[in-house]
Amino acid sequence: MPTVSASFWMVLPVVLPLAGGLLCFLWRQRSLWLPLAFALVNLIVVIRLTRLLLIQGPLHYQIGGWETPLGIVLVLDGPALLMLLLTALCGAGVTCYARGYFAYRISAQKQPGRHERQERFFWPLWLMLLAALNGLFLSGDIFNIYVTLELLSISAVALAALSGKPVAQLASFRYLLASLLGSLSYLLGIFFIYRSHGVLDLGLLRAVVEPGSSMTAGLVLMSCGLLLKSAAFPLHFWLPPAHANALAPVSAILSGLVIKGSLYLLFRFWFDTFASLISPAALNVIGMLGILAVFWGGILALLQQRLKLLVAYSTVSQVGYFLIAFPLAYHDATLSVWTAFLFMILAHGCAKVAMFMAAGTMYLHSGHDRMRDLHGIRLVMPLTVFAYGMAGVNLMGLPPSGGFVGKWLLLTGAFDDGQWWWSVAIMAGGLLAAAYVFRVMSPLFQAPVGASIFDGRPTPALLEWPPLVLSLIALLLGLFAPGIMALLTANGGAVISGGLP
Amino acid sequence: MNSLSLTLFDCVVLVTLLGLAWQLLATPDLFKAMVLFMSFGLVMALAWVRLAAPDVALAEAALGAGLTGPLFLSALHRLRGTRKGERRQQLDSIEHRGKIEKVTQRTSGRIIYLLLRILFAGLLLTLLVHLATILLHVEYENPGLGVFVAEQQEESGVISPVTAVLLNFRGYDTLLEIMVLFVAVVAVWSLATVRFSEKSGQVSPIQQGVVRILAPLMILVAVSLIWQGTHLAGGAFQGGAVLAAAGVLMMVSELPWLRLIPSLPVRLMLVFGPLVFLGLGVSCLADGRFLEYPGELAGFLILLIELACGLSIGLTLACLFVGGRPVDDLVDRGQLEEGS
Repeated sequence: MPTVSASFWMVLPVVLPLAGGLLCFLWRQRSLWLPLAFALVNLIVVIRLTRLLLIQGPLHYQIGGWETPLGIVLVLDGPALLMLLLTALCGAGVTCYARGYFAYRISAQKQPGRHERQERFFWPLWLMLLAALNGLFLSGDIFNIYVTLELLSISAVALAALSGKPVAQLASFRYLLASLLGSLSYLLGIFFIYRSHGVLDLGLLRAVVEPGSSMTAGLVLMSCGLLLKSAAFPLHFWLPPAHANALAPVSAILSGLVIKGSLYLLFRFWFDTFASLISPAALNVIGMLGILAVFWGGILALLQQRLKLLVAYSTVSQVGYFLIAFPLAYHDATLSVWTAFLFMILAHGCAKVAMFMAAGTMYLHSGHDRMRDLHGIRLVMPLTVFAYGMAGVNLMGLPPSGGFVGKWLLLTGAFDDGQWWWSVAIMAGGLLAAAYVFRVMSPLFQAPVGASIFDGRPTPALLEWPPLVLSLIALLLGLFAPGIMALLTANGGAVISGGLP
Repeated sequence: MNSLSLTLFDCVVLVTLLGLAWQLLATPDLFKAMVLFMSFGLVMALAWVRLAAPDVALAEAALGAGLTGPLFLSALHRLRGTRKGERRQQLDSIEHRGKIEKVTQRTSGRIIYLLLRILFAGLLLTLLVHLATILLHVEYENPGLGVFVAEQQEESGVISPVTAVLLNFRGYDTLLEIMVLFVAVVAVWSLATVRFSEKSGQVSPIQQGVVRILAPLMILVAVSLIWQGTHLAGGAFQGGAVLAAAGVLMMVSELPWLRLIPSLPVRLMLVFGPLVFLGLGVSCLADGRFLEYPGELAGFLILLIELACGLSIGLTLACLFVGGRPVDDLVDRGQLEEGS
């Protein structure tokens, strides 16, 4: 049993960014230090939590000291910790990048006031979003998860609208409606579950779950809401315009982190809390949606003319892989699919954040992101193009990237299980990813036609290094596989812990 | 009252609710829809009273019937205020009708359109019926968490069970909810500046005089609602809504000093409630307890949090009505460029 003094560290990833968001709104000093300090402290806290988890095993913390049926419990186990780590790492990267991004735009002397305004509102919204994500991963209570989802989507929508262009505003309004509909569906699901069983705590729920119509109705409603929020095919319509038209750091946050929140919840509900309700047919439906998403997203990504839209459609395609993991996880005794799922989330998170940052830097320099006019940009920003390529390697799933490990584990699962047909989609999706990544890469290396159209100013280090570091982390993730497995099975071998302290 | 007349009353409320909802969705006139929405909120509050949920009824009356109306009105005003918005609205209705008319000119088109509508309505109805049957078949013996709340009530420091749940047992949820409200204001401020319209001069001195008397009274009511939350129905959200209504009244009556409020005090007040809540939660963190109020101080601390949050919630809602950041917020080089 962990001591009280140790597990209160779990509150900090929520409390610190909340305080940071409030303070950033109050003190508008245009400086990096406040948000960066909060992002770094968050990273340190998460690293400290990693050590605690490795020593003590899964942690529980009762907020306010109230016992479970009444109070809210925070739960920290292997999967939650990995998500926290991903958020903290990408968060620190995005914070650095955003500072460089706004500084570059402000110094361009073109509507500097507008960019200053965007920067000052970006920080409080981003820190609030960080708090919501951390709270979501830590929460052990379905109603509390609803509140964190609400905080997450409101701040995400506000960030998406920040660029102020009519296209972005229209897209984020659509995003808002889709997101609210998802929240409402989730809330209705909670109502059914609470009405029939009278508990909200995930651990207690897992103990009382039994097949029954109201429980199933609740789970279906909650899952529909979460699928809408994570842009699973065919509910992805809101994602490409919202992600592609936002500011570059915002696109990175939305695509790399925000949709992971609801996907993670979906996986957790289906294979941990409500596992006894799941039927193979439902899993196959989810898997089929995944296959369709892989192909639809991949093909549309190939057809795009704009770089950021291409990257956004590639997110739609990658969400498909996460869904394909569902049918494979059903018969899985060794829990390798949990590992595969988390590996793909980690790899895709880092890679997509890096990719959107790199695309954003190219946008900054050329003033647009039409792919046919980006010839020869490699000469101006070799590091950025390199980061883009490394992130692309991850999406294709080549070794030793984290994407490779994830896909490899999925493929072995598929063959061991005799469900080989899923592997066709997994491999074809990899080829599609290669096609749309190379489609961007090859013009970047061609000699520019005519005079250089790029902004002559040098690229600041803050714009170049965060995407590079993140894409390298994603690339080398495969080499850290044993360490990550150790985290997942910390103290006792169970990947997932119960909700009861 | 005997049970028959109560049942009759319930039936009337139910039918009115359904009728209002239908009309609200069916009317093409946005202004009419807004008025219907407010009446829907009032009847809904009655329904909550009948369901023995006075806290929800108060919140519904103050927010659903009270404050949402002015919010819609200001949105509608903005939509009509701009030429672009007006043209957009016209175009929307013409285009929409045009499309439908074009399709329905041919008989086959009309039949397909009708079939689609029936199909959609049928799907929705099936879903509704399914969910309703599931609800009706739920075994009712499970008591929910009410028993646990009653057991621990004495330790919570307040007498009202709703307040005990909101601010003590599940105070973490409420903390995050208050952050949601805060983020909503930040989002609105990030999108637009408000330019208080030049004095229209249409406000009669009588209205201003009445508001001058009414506003202090409303603030008193708000504070008493917040205080009352510790033992009866009420609390920070309801009190905050009344406070916001006072603010909206003053703004509508164009009291001259309102326009001169600078950004910094507004920001301070907006952050005040959430920061007090968070700070008091963290102050217990020294011995590893988050949001765990020391026993004898619990009641006092909860009242403190409610007052601070009530104030901030009121301002938050009023800021949402204003619909933009104060004019002097972020005055810099760019502001002038954008304005020109």
